[in-house]
Amino acid sequence: MMKEAFKLKAADLAKEIKEGSLKGEDLFLDFKERAKQIDSSLHSFVEIYDEPQSTKGDSSLKGIPIAIKDNICIRGKRITCGSKILDSHISVYDATVVKRLKEAGLLILGTTNMDEFAFGSSTENSCYGPTRNPWNLERVPGGSSGGSTAAVAARLIPFALGSDTGGSIRQPASFCGVVGFKPTYGRVSRFGLVAFGSSLDQIGPITTNFVDCAHLLNIICGFDKLDSTSAKLEVCDFTKALVDQIKDIKIGLPLEYFKEGLDEEVKDAVEKAAKLLEKKGAKILDISLPHTEYAVATYYIIACSEASSNLQRYDGVKYGLRAKADNLIDSYKKTRRDGFGEEAKRRIFLGTHSLSSGYYDAYYLRALKVRTLIKNDFQEAFEKVDVILTPSSPTSAFKIGEKADDPLSMYLSDIYTISVNLAGLPAVSFPCGFTKDNLPIGVQLIGRPFDEETLIRAGFTYQNLTDYCKQLPKIAYA
Amino acid sequence: MIEKKTVKYIANLARIEINEEEKEFLQSQLSKILDYIDKLKELDIEKVAPTRGTFLQGNILRQDKSKKSEVFEDILKNTPEILNNHFKIPKVI
Amino acid sequence: MPEELETIIGLEVHVQLATKSKAFCSCPTNFESLPNTNICPICCGYPGVLPVFNRKALELGLRVCLALGCKINGRIYFERKNYFYPDLPKNYQISQYKVPLGEGGCITLSTGRKIGIERAHLEEDAGKLIHKEDCSLVDFNRTGIPLLEIVSKPDINSADEAFRYLKLLKLTLQYLGVSSCDMEKGYLRCDANISLKEKRAKELGTKVELKNMNSFHGVKDALESESRRQRISLEKGERILQETRLWDETKKQTFIMRTKEEAHDYRYFPEPDLVDFVIEEPMIEEQRSFISELPAVKEARFKKEYMLRENGLTEKEIDILISHKWLADFFELSVKELGDSKNIANWILGPFLELTNSLDKGFEQVKITPANFSKIVKYFLEGRLNNLGAKKVLVNVLTNNEDIDKVIEKEKLTQVSKEEGLMPFVEQTISENPKPVSDYLGGKQSAIMFLVGCVMRKSRGKANPKVVKEMLEKRIKVKGGKI
Repeated sequence: MMKEAFKLKAADLAKEIKEGSLKGEDLFLDFKERAKQIDSSLHSFVEIYDEPQSTKGDSSLKGIPIAIKDNICIRGKRITCGSKILDSHISVYDATVVKRLKEAGLLILGTTNMDEFAFGSSTENSCYGPTRNPWNLERVPGGSSGGSTAAVAARLIPFALGSDTGGSIRQPASFCGVVGFKPTYGRVSRFGLVAFGSSLDQIGPITTNFVDCAHLLNIICGFDKLDSTSAKLEVCDFTKALVDQIKDIKIGLPLEYFKEGLDEEVKDAVEKAAKLLEKKGAKILDISLPHTEYAVATYYIIACSEASSNLQRYDGVKYGLRAKADNLIDSYKKTRRDGFGEEAKRRIFLGTHSLSSGYYDAYYLRALKVRTLIKNDFQEAFEKVDVILTPSSPTSAFKIGEKADDPLSMYLSDIYTISVNLAGLPAVSFPCGFTKDNLPIGVQLIGRPFDEETLIRAGFTYQNLTDYCKQLPKIAYA
Repeated sequence: MIEKKTVKYIANLARIEINEEEKEFLQSQLSKILDYIDKLKELDIEKVAPTRGTFLQGNILRQDKSKKSEVFEDILKNTPEILNNHFKIPKVI
Repeated sequence: MPEELETIIGLEVHVQLATKSKAFCSCPTNFESLPNTNICPICCGYPGVLPVFNRKALELGLRVCLALGCKINGRIYFERKNYFYPDLPKNYQISQYKVPLGEGGCITLSTGRKIGIERAHLEEDAGKLIHKEDCSLVDFNRTGIPLLEIVSKPDINSADEAFRYLKLLKLTLQYLGVSSCDMEKGYLRCDANISLKEKRAKELGTKVELKNMNSFHGVKDALESESRRQRISLEKGERILQETRLWDETKKQTFIMRTKEEAHDYRYFPEPDLVDFVIEEPMIEEQRSFISELPAVKEARFKKEYMLRENGLTEKEIDILISHKWLADFFELSVKELGDSKNIANWILGPFLELTNSLDKGFEQVKITPANFSKIVKYFLEGRLNNLGAKKVLVNVLTNNEDIDKVIEKEKLTQVSKEEGLMPFVEQTISENPKPVSDYLGGKQSAIMFLVGCVMRKSRGKANPKVVKEMLEKRIKVKGGKI
């Protein structure tokens, strides 16, 4: 490998490719070797490809390898969603984002591990086994995009795509010390993203820095006629938001996000980040998002209801696993018994129950109404401020197995990220410090709908003031 | 607290086979989660409109143009069993 | 003994909308394709796919709702109807539940009875299942074709009335051009709800749902059979159970399929993969412009204009004329040319339909204009063409609309009415047939027709039979029996 190329930004590597001092194919092979060598202890990849699928296409990121969360379809490649039920199903089509990456000349290196169907916050719920946190192999990388964030943190890949339904990009980004961006709902096409909670899911970039984040967003954002829920709006050039200036920005700190349950070390680091931005010229204001405490309950009703319906298609009729049985109903029941893991079953049960006759009003409909209240909270807040700053997660990375037996406490680890999906807002988590155990801490910025630019500008400015993004876990040098 | 017969009812609706032990396990876990979710009952939501989606743009419609899929043969091949160009499945009763 | 019982019927009609592509993907909708060739990742419920709604399906559904006088909901959205069945790849059907496209409206039968429409909503069709001895087979070609479900109010009081309603609804849909409504091909399907109640009772009785009827006659038979079954049970003092029953066409009986306890829990919820659809005024106006006179109105007008007068058409003739919008239009345009409805009707219902029925594509292949058609009838009435000659011309021009006069010229079909041209045939016939001639002279009037036939044959059909008859009568009388 070009000397320590893995330490460089993707955008800088792309420049070298453009100038001819580096070849994309060589870079692909170098990262492949690196990933194969280091990933045995991390298990961030499900599959590493021998060769890039396509080397055509062009963009500011031409020739750069990328990894894809294993719930995004790549034609001719296995898609697992970390589940047994797909049973090495081969995709027959490209997701829109994959098509766009190929058209932009990016080289897909492989697929990354995840909680089964994105159900989880630790990447422990994969049928392929857990992924480990590159900063401490005893810890989880967060989830559900833990494979992507771990791979990026260990620089096994310059960047990756993840998906975020309730924090699945941002929470693992904070645990792994990388930049995880969830765009506004509707910004990125969901076509080809295996659905979890259709009204909440968004694909987003996981990068080591905001420059790469902006470049990657340029490629994946925009209306897609195959996704009715993708926004028919003009997409600007996000690299234009890479400006070191935040004097005009008002930042809100929501009271409810700094209360009990928040780890002291995390709290300190996040408050320090706010102060740093203030010093750089931003105005800091206290705000309130009064319905925050209802977000987790609301989220689990809506996400699981949608998931229970989305996952009904895995029945052994058309593709994937099929259990042997004399009749169809038994085949359904055994296929789904054998194919789904424990957490998937729990969520399917919860969702099915919430929608079932006699419970719909008490659970599902009520949740949709509380969703309105949560959405309104943000709307009001954004009348006073331009962005909202919060911790990304109440704690740093927890130990593998620590929350495995307590689903509720696992759900609560998404408490700061979940409201954003309910309100459909853009948000980003980026590193703002380390615990005394040398685990990364993440801070989250939440923006107005379709105002990704302000998040990029604020994040980029912060990144220039600190060096947290440049710190690498030891395993990256292995 | 969710009843055992409700767990059984959901299992059938969701077409997932569970044994007695799993039934009890799910009963206790779902009960805990639902107890937590009952928090939502504190709110007066009578006059609040439900939010079906966060970004409501209207009328995304396709033109009525037909195009045969390039991959229809691959789709049939992906099924565990084929018979006479059909998806072959266990007997429906 | 309960007092007189009344039958209460509501019908659910599913009609496939005539779009080129499916409701939520671009797969073709042609019926004749080989199994599982009109399929794609979207209609097969592959991981990660999303639906995008077909504008044409919305437009055709809207057209029906407007024609039925439904109130159009200004903002509609789809919901998911969840149930596991192998003909449903996603194991949920994209349908409408809380806010259907249209609500209210009605259909007025020719008996004057108004049957209310409860609602009409859009949804996607399921695939086809074939049940074998040891397995089942699935074909997803039909999966995802747009359907409009039209639900009547429980306003129908007999199997016969149900039959009338279905016939009129089907005809209305055909007039609107939204579906071919071919029941054999499954383009139109019907389920029924039936209950009995005492005439004076306000509340409806327990309803039973009937499925698996494959024709309108099947619906009628099933309703009659089920009505009888319920009546017998009630008269015995038994209770009717809420259940779904299947009609067995060969046994002419309904059989229980599932009870209320086994009923589905569909877990409807708004489809998050689709946006809302706002039905705007221009779209409504556009669809309204495609609605011409509907069959019920046309029937009433035809009766007024063409039946209730001297030499008018019969009810049956009008029934046939309005059974197809194209035919009714052709009739009226031809009448406009000629001004003689009875003769136009005779020629349409006779030779014209006989010929068009033998065409592969029926009226689609017909090229003759009403002007040319009425010209043939006119030539016939004027005696320029005889019956056979006129039919020959019709055969010649039906599918190409060639110039009629040229065809007559080419085929030498002009009727011979001039006596000098026919005289040799008349003379020959009289001398060759002494027996019929003497019979006629002896008072047997019918014998003359035999002789006319002989002359017609000799002239190869070109002679004007009226002229021939007069000539024969004159000649025989002149000769006074002397042969």
